[in-house]
Amino acid sequence: MSDLVLTQPASLAIARGNGKRSLRIVQSLCILIIALVMISPLFMLLIASLKDDRFRILADMGSFRAFWVSDPTLSNYKEIAHFSGELAYGRYLFNSLVILVATVVSGLIVNSMAGFVLAWGSLRGKATLLALVVALYVIPQESIIMPLVVMMSRAGLTDTFAVQILPWVASPLYVFLFYQFFAQLPKELYEAAEMDGASAFRIYRSIYMPLSLPALATVSILMGIESWNQYLWPTLVTQTDYARPIAVAIATFFGQDSIYWDRAMAASVLMMIPVLILYLAFQRWFVSSFVGSAVKG
Amino acid sequence: MTLQQTSTPALGRPAKRRDNKRLWQEMAMIAPAFLLMAIFLITPFLLSFWTAMTNQPLVPRPTPVRFVGLLNFERVFTDPLFWTSLWNVTRFTVWVLPLQCGLAFLTALLLHQKLPIQNLLRGLFFLPAITSMVVVCVIWGTLFQYPSGPLNQIVGFLSGGTIQPIDWLGDPNWAMFSIVLLSAWQAYGFQMIIYLAGLQGIPEELYDAARIDGASALRRFWHVTMPGLRPTHVFVLVITTIQAFKLYTQVAILTQGGPNESTETVVHYMVRAGFEEQKLGYASAVSVILFVIVLLIALLQRKLLRRFDV
Repeated sequence: MSDLVLTQPASLAIARGNGKRSLRIVQSLCILIIALVMISPLFMLLIASLKDDRFRILADMGSFRAFWVSDPTLSNYKEIAHFSGELAYGRYLFNSLVILVATVVSGLIVNSMAGFVLAWGSLRGKATLLALVVALYVIPQESIIMPLVVMMSRAGLTDTFAVQILPWVASPLYVFLFYQFFAQLPKELYEAAEMDGASAFRIYRSIYMPLSLPALATVSILMGIESWNQYLWPTLVTQTDYARPIAVAIATFFGQDSIYWDRAMAASVLMMIPVLILYLAFQRWFVSSFVGSAVKG
Repeated sequence: MTLQQTSTPALGRPAKRRDNKRLWQEMAMIAPAFLLMAIFLITPFLLSFWTAMTNQPLVPRPTPVRFVGLLNFERVFTDPLFWTSLWNVTRFTVWVLPLQCGLAFLTALLLHQKLPIQNLLRGLFFLPAITSMVVVCVIWGTLFQYPSGPLNQIVGFLSGGTIQPIDWLGDPNWAMFSIVLLSAWQAYGFQMIIYLAGLQGIPEELYDAARIDGASALRRFWHVTMPGLRPTHVFVLVITTIQAFKLYTQVAILTQGGPNESTETVVHYMVRAGFEEQKLGYASAVSVILFVIVLLIALLQRKLLRRFDV
């Protein structure tokens, strides 16, 4: 390769490099513009949440004033950031956070342990269990929700945090993702540790877990988004403010005769922040770990 | 040497005990996931088949629950509203597939080149996908405002004022299409990531070989990229179809199935039967039908993948 470059006249190589570079910059700019168009609705949301008059928000929507606020105010946020009363969006946000953290943390542990044993364990029924996991993956949440609501209310779990966490901790999809990730790690790792007399749990915890950062990140993002955005389930199992998540609370704006867009916008921005942080924290590993995992499944 | 030693009879017993201990440990590790799935997935799933064949109401009544056979299914299949909802999600699927997957494919192709701000761009394009559907409804609820919302302004500007403002969510001819627009915008990010992963999986050597043979960019796309993405296309189309058939949240929030039942969907129909009309048996029958539809789509995927030999 280097020989080829050296035999070219130096000036030509530089000119070509420059042309390619400017082409790339033009390309980047084009894509950036498309990206900005795609996210302009989100930008509009942020701007609108800083305007204090809901009629002005709607009036501004039809023009470029939708993207500009001359006198930003946090009054909408102050109106809804309560922990009790009618606009207890602080509380709803907190509820959602509790549910998210509990679901993701326990989900990572439970699903990765099962995936690990399915990949490397010596259980005799392993292949059957794996087939069961793949088969269960087909069942959509929507088609088990009817009997599940009845089961939960009979168990007295209506209106609790547990009812919003427990059903979604173990999931065939995430067991399978972990299984696939662990199975592609070299066999020698397991054998060497076993020779040293390490127990299965020890091998899982001290050798495989530290290596599975990409898988943990991917499952965290997927589980986090899923838990954060749950809507149908919590509408069915929550009745009071006690454990109501923010998604259900925001939806109640639509039930009113005249929608308080200003408050709805501020609540929406609040709802976006945690999941945005989660995504930014883990996105480094997100795309790369999708390679070969999702598609082949 | 060591291998021979472990197989001597004297050491056989401790090894076996260790095997036993290991087995117990493995069972303890696998138990939580399978126990939770047994309670929260398998049990309600099996129950739904049983409930679908009874006249069980949502709230227990003094009268005993009766086994009614396939009566609920018969009623579902003779209800015109059920067929309307099935027709609506089919319409939705037919519109949303090309729009959402096309958008995902296009953005993935754009992002696949080595650009200086690649990570930033990828993050920006993925933003709608991490936005909750409820928030998406708040945003698009204002975009759809009639008669002078942003979308109507854009339509009016592009058509030079010849097209009258559209009542996006209030007009039965437009309501489902409006739902399609916001759904495609919200969800294309995930398919984009899957396409990106698929593009990264195509070996660079294939492109080099094509280049040496003098193939143009278009031919390289058609003869290297497209065949390489075949399993990705199948996967993306199938998960998008399954997702589309489960359409619920945006409809429940923005239109409640209206106007004139033009946005009624299967899941919305099910939730209404189960929780507004309190007919649990009937709603369970709908949920079984939904499962069968999803199963058929998944089986179709398997068949397609086998046919493409991947």
